[in-house]
Amino acid sequence: MSECRRIGESLAAYADDMLKPAERSGVERHLAACPECRKHADTERGARRLLRHSSQQLLNEPLPPGLRTRCEALARERSATPLARLGPWWRVRLVPVLLTVVVMIFGASAFFSIATRSSDALLAAQLTADHSKCFKLLGPPDGTSADARNIERMLLEQYGWQIHVPASSAEDDVQLIGARRCLYGDGLVPHVMYRVHGQDVSLFVLPGTARKPDDLVTLGHRSQIWSRDGSTFVLVSAADAGGMANASRYVMREAR
Amino acid sequence: MFRRRQPADADAFGAEVLRYLEPLYATAMRLTRNRADAEDLVQDTLVKAFRFSDKFERGTNLRAWLSTILHNTWRNRVRDAGREAVEVDSTRVEEAEAADGSATSETPEQLLLRNTLDGDLRAALDDLPDVFRQAVWMRDVEEFSYAEIAKALDVPIGTVMSRISRGRRMLLDQLRKTKATA
Repeated sequence: MSECRRIGESLAAYADDMLKPAERSGVERHLAACPECRKHADTERGARRLLRHSSQQLLNEPLPPGLRTRCEALARERSATPLARLGPWWRVRLVPVLLTVVVMIFGASAFFSIATRSSDALLAAQLTADHSKCFKLLGPPDGTSADARNIERMLLEQYGWQIHVPASSAEDDVQLIGARRCLYGDGLVPHVMYRVHGQDVSLFVLPGTARKPDDLVTLGHRSQIWSRDGSTFVLVSAADAGGMANASRYVMREAR
Repeated sequence: MFRRRQPADADAFGAEVLRYLEPLYATAMRLTRNRADAEDLVQDTLVKAFRFSDKFERGTNLRAWLSTILHNTWRNRVRDAGREAVEVDSTRVEEAEAADGSATSETPEQLLLRNTLDGDLRAALDDLPDVFRQAVWMRDVEEFSYAEIAKALDVPIGTVMSRISRGRRMLLDQLRKTKATA
């Protein structure tokens, strides 16, 4: 191994003042005789000093709206009474696991059946699992509203999805609370989150696929499926949620 | 040592964890370079921290413990997404160093004195390849030891040192270019 290469391996520790005295003098002897390595060593020390000098500023990134409130909700769930502590465990661990098992069962049944109905049930089960997971784990708190145009811009800029997101509608008691990229299901899809009459409601958009309209109940949730302009839309809400008719009509009319 | 937390403890632990949201989010932003993923990463980190709170040893550095969870979570996500970065991007380092002389003759100390803007520094960090950015950030901003970084990233200490070294050089080179074109 050449001397420069050997010294190069010690430069991080040299810049960090972590070398033993004997190693340090060896490095310094080489640096005194080798301008190239000296330059690397200076550069490394400069970067290190610059970063340490700015570390407090770098670590002080303003939080986006809603993140602190969501994290506080996670902390509150955790600090509930011992009996209630089963709650987070149920919600955070067991429910997604059970839903995943159910999804796998549906997946297996779909594998053996080519019936459209079964395919819709599979889709509904997957998205219901996503709906529950996203709201339970990451759902924005009550009272948080989001601007539809900002969400559209975020979905386009960050993920390349161009969709028309139905805005909040006071008339139909629909409150838009956010959107995210859903990591479950068949790939990555936009997941737009609403609250209607205090209930969690999800709109999923599956670009580039068309399906016949369907309306079914899976895992205690109603999934309304429709297509428009080559995309499929699925609206997921609790099956027993009351007063959804106007809200459903509004979202189905507006979503593009 | 380790003991299961009681509810009152859990309240205090939760409050203590929430004190570190800003640095956690800042780290998540540098790793993901994207707000939505950074928010997800912070929330996943907190879910894990609360779930495994009884593993946290009282009196030790909570911020470092949380940050280690965050880095582990990110490492696993990158791996699961099949986005494991190239081990050593030596071509890019060599190109950067070849261009070194042509930018400016400013020394690192002069750069420091000229008060590099935090925004420039963030942008230069974001421009580093993932593995270098993460190693440099952990060492120089979060001040982890080489051993702690090696454990969190699941790579040998020699690799950590090499990534830090190359990452620092690329970072300063990027800043020189920014200054030269400003």
